[in-house]
Amino acid sequence: MYAQAFFVTVFGLAAIGFGVVVFRTSSMVRSALALLFSQTAVGCMFLAMQTEFLGVLQIMMMATEMSIMAIFMVMFMMDPGGLGGMDMSHQKRFSIGAGGSAAVVAIAVALLSNWGPAAEQVVDAEAQTRALGMELLGRSMMIFETAGITILTAMIAATAVAIPVQNLASKDDKEASE
Amino acid sequence: MTVAIVLLALFGSAWLLAVIEGWMVTGRLSPAAPLFSGLAHLGRESILPRSPDRVFFEAAPVLLLVVAVLGMAVLPLAPDLIIADLGTGALFINAALAYVLVAVIMAGWGPDGAYAMIGGWRFLGQLIAYSMLIVMPITAVAMRAESLLNTAIVGSQAVLWNIVYQPLGFVLFFIAAMALAFRAPFDLPTAEGELGGGVDAEYTGVRLAVLRLARLTLVVTLASATTVFYLGGWHGPLLPPWAWSLIKTLAVAVSMLLVGRYLPRIREADLMRWCWILGIPLALLNIIIVGLLILVVP
Amino acid sequence: MTIVLIVALVTGAILFGIGVYGALSQTNLVMIMMGVELMLAGAMVNLVAFWRFLHPEAYSGQMFVLVVMTVMALEMAVGFGVAITRFRAKGSVEMEEAEDLKG
Repeated sequence: MYAQAFFVTVFGLAAIGFGVVVFRTSSMVRSALALLFSQTAVGCMFLAMQTEFLGVLQIMMMATEMSIMAIFMVMFMMDPGGLGGMDMSHQKRFSIGAGGSAAVVAIAVALLSNWGPAAEQVVDAEAQTRALGMELLGRSMMIFETAGITILTAMIAATAVAIPVQNLASKDDKEASE
Repeated sequence: MTVAIVLLALFGSAWLLAVIEGWMVTGRLSPAAPLFSGLAHLGRESILPRSPDRVFFEAAPVLLLVVAVLGMAVLPLAPDLIIADLGTGALFINAALAYVLVAVIMAGWGPDGAYAMIGGWRFLGQLIAYSMLIVMPITAVAMRAESLLNTAIVGSQAVLWNIVYQPLGFVLFFIAAMALAFRAPFDLPTAEGELGGGVDAEYTGVRLAVLRLARLTLVVTLASATTVFYLGGWHGPLLPPWAWSLIKTLAVAVSMLLVGRYLPRIREADLMRWCWILGIPLALLNIIIVGLLILVVP
Repeated sequence: MTIVLIVALVTGAILFGIGVYGALSQTNLVMIMMGVELMLAGAMVNLVAFWRFLHPEAYSGQMFVLVVMTVMALEMAVGFGVAITRFRAKGSVEMEEAEDLKG
């Protein structure tokens, strides 16, 4: 119990710490990898809360996701190395207010609600994985399939958006004139 | 106790591998050479590039080593010789191996050198090429074992090893494992001919010693994973279980070295194209075949 | 007893707050996406904590986390697709220069 509280707190602090670094550093690769380690710490929190499958999955997925994010940062930012010390933010006061008030409201709800008795024990990881699989391919199958279709749609949409627009009309003209 | 034995086996195998590699290259069998070379690295000057990203530069070799050790921690050497028999072991090894990429990117970005950076981003560019071919064959293996426990996966191969049951998966996994350990002929991030060492180029002294150890350890971990997933792990006649695990692991690791020694480096565009056009459809086909086999054969 | 639950919820709330700050204050599309990822991470922490401490028998809770992870991946894919197009057309993904997207 105390061990669990300790580890959840430590990984939670790590997640918050790295999350702050994301917007504090001027090096874009650092920023992306700080987000990666923040997400990894979140995955470790899942592990500490005995949700092994989701924790490992989170740790695995974020490694590739955030690495891809890193290269996009380098591609699209004006100053990826952060050596110029550019300020890349706007409406700071408003943002701090919004973020702070969102956090305060959520914390107040967390502290003031009566959550009722907490569950003492959960089943071990193997049984959990099995039960999650049964849930996925049983009662929640439609939702899971919907997620799959959504992924397919997003893949097609992202590819369609990303490929360069070919000006077919002018190409035809060129061929006709040659 | 188990931890000590597994770590000893891991680093011992890495040392043996270094000896064998030296033997293949120089033709002399000198068991002490890797140790002396490691010690020599400790004594040499550790040059720091002019404007490095210190955090990444220092952390990358250590992260690579940690990843390799963590991967080994969920692989069984014998029925009870395993550091952590996780309920999600087969997924955990994927998660650990995903951080090889992170370590290589850090090693590439850290030293602020052109060749290193190209090497690091190149490894990311190849991501789909190898990571999909690691994950999908493992899926088929876990399907046969009906469990993500690595000990259960070895247990499912008591009668018939997975290399016979799903040879397609083995071939894909073996290739992807070599690409993930960036050994020749897939050593794109460190390509000596084109990048002058790539991510290795800026590392010297102690850091280079750690990086080399990490790369050897990673090969051993991947070879051990191949053993556990496809070669029946500890199963074998006469010898004790741990001996079979070690023999198979070393055999796989040495065959990785041999393949790399006799093949030219693959162009990154070709690797990417073959993985998309051939590798991923074959991996999906492997999953379908294994699924059908499980349904049809009792 | 529920101290771990409270700790997890507070962590989730703070992560969400940081994410809101990032999404609102950054001028670059990729950085805004990072803010959104942090917000989703905060939501996931809450979901897992609720599953673990309040309803460990309802596996649709874990299911929900899987769906959120899917959403994270999709958000990245589509976001980068848009970023590539924008960069190709205008040479930058700065949001302050995207005034022309107003109707």
